[in-house]
Amino acid sequence: MSTAPDQPLVAGSTVPPTRRALSRLGLALIAAAGLGGCAMSPPQPWEKGNLARPEMTMGGDALDQRFVQHIYGSKEAASGGYGVGGGGCGCN
Amino acid sequence: MAATDTRLPPRGGKAGAIIAAALSLPGVIVPATALADTAPERGEIAIKYLQYQDSQPDLSRIRVRAPSVYVMVPLSPKWSVEGSWVSDTVSGATPRYHTAVSGATRKMSDKRIAEDVKVTRYEERSSYSLSLSHSGENDYQSNAGGLSASFSSDDNNRTWNVGFGYAADRISSTNDPTLHQRKNTVEFMVGVTQAWTANDLVQVNLTLNHGHGYYSDPYKEPDIRPDKRTQSILLTRWNHHFSEMSATLKSSYRYYHDNFGINAHTVGAEWVQPVGDRWTVTPELRYYTQGAASFYYDPVYDPVVGAPYPPGYFTNPPQFISPDQRLSAFGAITAGLKVALKLSADWTVDVKAERYEQRGSWRLGGQGSPGLEPFRATFFQFGVSTRF
Repeated sequence: MSTAPDQPLVAGSTVPPTRRALSRLGLALIAAAGLGGCAMSPPQPWEKGNLARPEMTMGGDALDQRFVQHIYGSKEAASGGYGVGGGGCGCN
Repeated sequence: MAATDTRLPPRGGKAGAIIAAALSLPGVIVPATALADTAPERGEIAIKYLQYQDSQPDLSRIRVRAPSVYVMVPLSPKWSVEGSWVSDTVSGATPRYHTAVSGATRKMSDKRIAEDVKVTRYEERSSYSLSLSHSGENDYQSNAGGLSASFSSDDNNRTWNVGFGYAADRISSTNDPTLHQRKNTVEFMVGVTQAWTANDLVQVNLTLNHGHGYYSDPYKEPDIRPDKRTQSILLTRWNHHFSEMSATLKSSYRYYHDNFGINAHTVGAEWVQPVGDRWTVTPELRYYTQGAASFYYDPVYDPVVGAPYPPGYFTNPPQFISPDQRLSAFGAITAGLKVALKLSADWTVDVKAERYEQRGSWRLGGQGSPGLEPFRATFFQFGVSTRF
């Protein structure tokens, strides 16, 4: 079997609990540190001109995103997170 | 998106006039109505030609040519419909196990047609969407549907999103005419988008997928995977606009975990830089890293039987096993550049090129799966779009 998995050799959620908890805590701290340096100051309605720019949308170019996510989904084990109802394919 | 609603301040006064003039600059969208959620005012048609080629040392692998079309039509202030169509023509070869060139499939070709449609209803502080999609190729059929809704806060600075999806897939194989399998998946998503400041938009989405059915790859040997897969995905995105440079940094982080034992992290960044009135240049970088599936085995073969079987495969057969490179431990880097040219107020053309590479040694921490060749791919996109 593999010399490189970060899990024991059985299917299922088998990451050691301590390691998993530390990993998630680390991620939470990174996120908090990132946002903590930029205090939330929600804009007034007339201050949203920059937020309404096309490049500020989360999705962006629809065909570009679908093409790229389709490629990554067929070449990597992880996929999804960007929406629901997309279906699958048998891509090699 | 409600979090980007740009209602103007009360009319009257010099300040209001200046802000109104500023918001009317090119590239700034100002909805004519004060409604929080309304259908887009204008429709859009986009056409793209997509090209993909991957390879490893001494083997040119899969090539894809894919024309695609996207159409979005606002039917009224409360309704819009959008849809897309893509045709993938796939050709080339792929290894049957690990990255063994001698074990690659013979030259194959396939064609996949995929289409989807989405209808959205807009209310004063909410919107509701129904989507349907289909993807078909000679050995794989997928039908999927989704329901999603968004709800905005009174000041339109926060939007909650929820979604539910279902997919029903049918799998067959050109290698095995007797193979007829199914796979069904349900998806749940919840997320929030917050206007953090006048220049920052932050989003957090949590997605849970649960599927059961046939997950093995009929073109790998030996390949037996669990018949259930549960995936958890946390996606965070942060867009920041730099007013002094008129540029935008789009960043993202995704954490992925599933019951195959795979943990993966993805970070991405795009710098959207307008150049003059007509050009936009967008360099981008992406890093991806994953651990191996618990049932992936390294390319070490039985000394008697030989490849592709691991030692002891016939005397003590494992419950699950796979030699699929995509389930190994590796890291991957993508570098890309997109250039867009605005031909007129309504017409835009764009070109994008990306280079992608996977290596075991690029896994975060450096402990990637040994014995695999690097995997490389190049993608190109050529697009034109117009609004009407």
